[in-house]
Amino acid sequence: MDLTYAIDLCARISKLKFMMTLYKRNLIKSLTFLVFLMPGISAFSQSTPTDPVKLAADTLNAKIENVKSDLDLLKKLKVSGYIQAQWQLADSAGQLSLFSGGAFAKNDDNRFMVRRGRVKFAYEGKLTQFVLQIDATEKGVTLKDAYVNFKDPWLQMFALQGGVFNRPFGFEIAYSSSLRETPERARVTQTLFPQERDLGAMLTIQPRKESRFNFIRLNAALINGNAISVETDSRKDFTGQLGINKSTRNEKFKYAVGVSYYNGGVFQETKKVYNMTTLADGLTKGFAVDSTESNKGQYAKREYFGADAQFSLDWAIGMTTLRGEYILGSQPGGSKSNISPAARVIPDIIVSDTYNRKFNGGYVYFIQNILNSRHEVVVKYDFYDPNTDVKGTDAKSSISYNESTIKTGLGGADVKYTTWGFGYNVRIAANVKLMAYYEIVKNEETALTGYSNDLKDNVLTIRAQFKF
Amino acid sequence: MKKLIFAIILTAILPQVYSQNVSCKIKGSDTVLPLTQKEAEVYMKKYPGSSIMVTGGGSGVGLAALQNGTTDIGQSSRKMKLDEKMKMQDAGKTSIETIIAYDALAVIVNPANKISQLTREQLESIYTGKVTNWKEVGGDDMPIVLYSRESSSGTFEFFKEHVLNKKNFAPTAMLMPATGAIVQSVSQTKGAIGYVGIAYLENTVKALKVSYDKGTTFVAPTVENAMNKSYPISRPLYYYYLNTTEKAVKPFVDFILSTEGQQIVKEVGYVPILSK
Repeated sequence: MDLTYAIDLCARISKLKFMMTLYKRNLIKSLTFLVFLMPGISAFSQSTPTDPVKLAADTLNAKIENVKSDLDLLKKLKVSGYIQAQWQLADSAGQLSLFSGGAFAKNDDNRFMVRRGRVKFAYEGKLTQFVLQIDATEKGVTLKDAYVNFKDPWLQMFALQGGVFNRPFGFEIAYSSSLRETPERARVTQTLFPQERDLGAMLTIQPRKESRFNFIRLNAALINGNAISVETDSRKDFTGQLGINKSTRNEKFKYAVGVSYYNGGVFQETKKVYNMTTLADGLTKGFAVDSTESNKGQYAKREYFGADAQFSLDWAIGMTTLRGEYILGSQPGGSKSNISPAARVIPDIIVSDTYNRKFNGGYVYFIQNILNSRHEVVVKYDFYDPNTDVKGTDAKSSISYNESTIKTGLGGADVKYTTWGFGYNVRIAANVKLMAYYEIVKNEETALTGYSNDLKDNVLTIRAQFKF
Repeated sequence: MKKLIFAIILTAILPQVYSQNVSCKIKGSDTVLPLTQKEAEVYMKKYPGSSIMVTGGGSGVGLAALQNGTTDIGQSSRKMKLDEKMKMQDAGKTSIETIIAYDALAVIVNPANKISQLTREQLESIYTGKVTNWKEVGGDDMPIVLYSRESSSGTFEFFKEHVLNKKNFAPTAMLMPATGAIVQSVSQTKGAIGYVGIAYLENTVKALKVSYDKGTTFVAPTVENAMNKSYPISRPLYYYYLNTTEKAVKPFVDFILSTEGQQIVKEVGYVPILSK
């Protein structure tokens, strides 16, 4: 359909060029005639309705109008995309780098991969928008965005969006991977919001551009709470975000701050619900099970509070950007995982007990462009503590009490991680960005089996991105 | 010998003449449009090998075109926003900013309107919709018809910030796609009011004197008053181009900044930079 349309348009343009050539020839002939022969009559002939020059001009105008209206229609469809091809070197083969682009295979400590291969189609009307984005890599083709957006025609400050879209929470989720200065989002973001997107409906309130309050934006969404996957339970999650985004009058300093809230639930597939408590020795923290029959089929509370801020300063040494976000709350998970539900299927293959944990996490980015050039350096720090009730060597797999051994239920899912990242980006051409980024991943040293020392899980990423 | 001297002189002069030839596209602010058109016309006459294509569309349109590579110079009646600069940076581009002239904004009404001056506060009340009839500001009993530029226009943003104190335009304001359309509409509508760059002033509309000291002094929008800084609603006009294309467009930019170019600035109805 689009190809036919494009061919038709090309044909029209060629025709138009031909018409213009004819028009020019006619114009020259007419002018020669007018100048050399009958200047007086020429004035008369220009006013007659059969004037060939006027007719040609009218025809040309009509053609131009046709082409213009066709082009206006075509302009509504926008196609964009990017490919990120990269090579990664891990500290050790089989490294579980879930938050650095995915786990390495058992015998693999370096790899080439297409991290993202995105194509996005957006059709934008005056008050409506249709967006479809897919991701094609060696792992397959997956859906990323598929939504429609309607703006109210009266005040143009209310917009309703439905489909698959980024969850409105914090800054990092919605910030495009093509723009981000680091290869991946922070561990806390990836843990709480796997795939970034979810299915649902969102209301956005933002005064129109002409308003002095245009800098305020409120998003509120009801979503499945199961990432980009079919819904598996009846309960819907709420997530909302309120933020401001302003620049100073001299356009040298830009700041944005926001607060976010998430309130949802995770279906309890069994009656066993584990909560953190002080164990029998009166000192050690660990999980205690609640096996009330009615627990099964209830919902464990998934609740996050977040605050984020971004600052950019345009000054002599180049643009300086500082971003930060902090999130805390309650996260239900399994005994070995603290990641939010993503891509659960019906019927659920793994029926797991519920482990409730209190967590906190955050990140800080420092990005410095070098002297307004194509080069920039970035330093990022992020941390995620999935279980704030235990720290360091207080986290034990089991304790001895009254000559018996009590298991704490703690494991890898309760270990805090911090990551320092150092990167260098250069835009070698208008569409091409190169990135070199080294992540130093550090887990807290605990008394848990396998986590008494820092694991070897640093990663070097060399990436080339082409964006159009 | 004479031939040799002639050849040497020709060799010395020709590259210079040739290097002044410019082939570029300029897009953006409608306010800057008449100035650029005139400058380009004179420049192309002076250097016939040059080809300068000038189109309007609004400051935002011009700066977006610069970012996506469809123009060589983005002309703007406002400073480039930080967001726009960040986008430019993300595209691996670095822009250079040059102020080429200053402009004064004139508030215009239909010549049949007996009002000839307004305070900034009155303008704010009119454009925010608090005052809807000319009789409320000393005019005839006639509804006020508001004309404004679209929000992509730098003139729109400047007027909103400096005259309306960042307050919202009344929803009844008609947003016009071009400055010429405002002049035409105001000239044809008895109760109309609009704002345009002074280069757009014609006999078909009446420019109002404006007071920024609550009615103590009213100043007419003229080049002279803008030059002596007594007229308060004036602003710089910018050219933005990429550092990678600087060499190609610089001769034309330098021409505008020259004494000859600045003389054209004055002739077209703008304020030369030297006067500031």
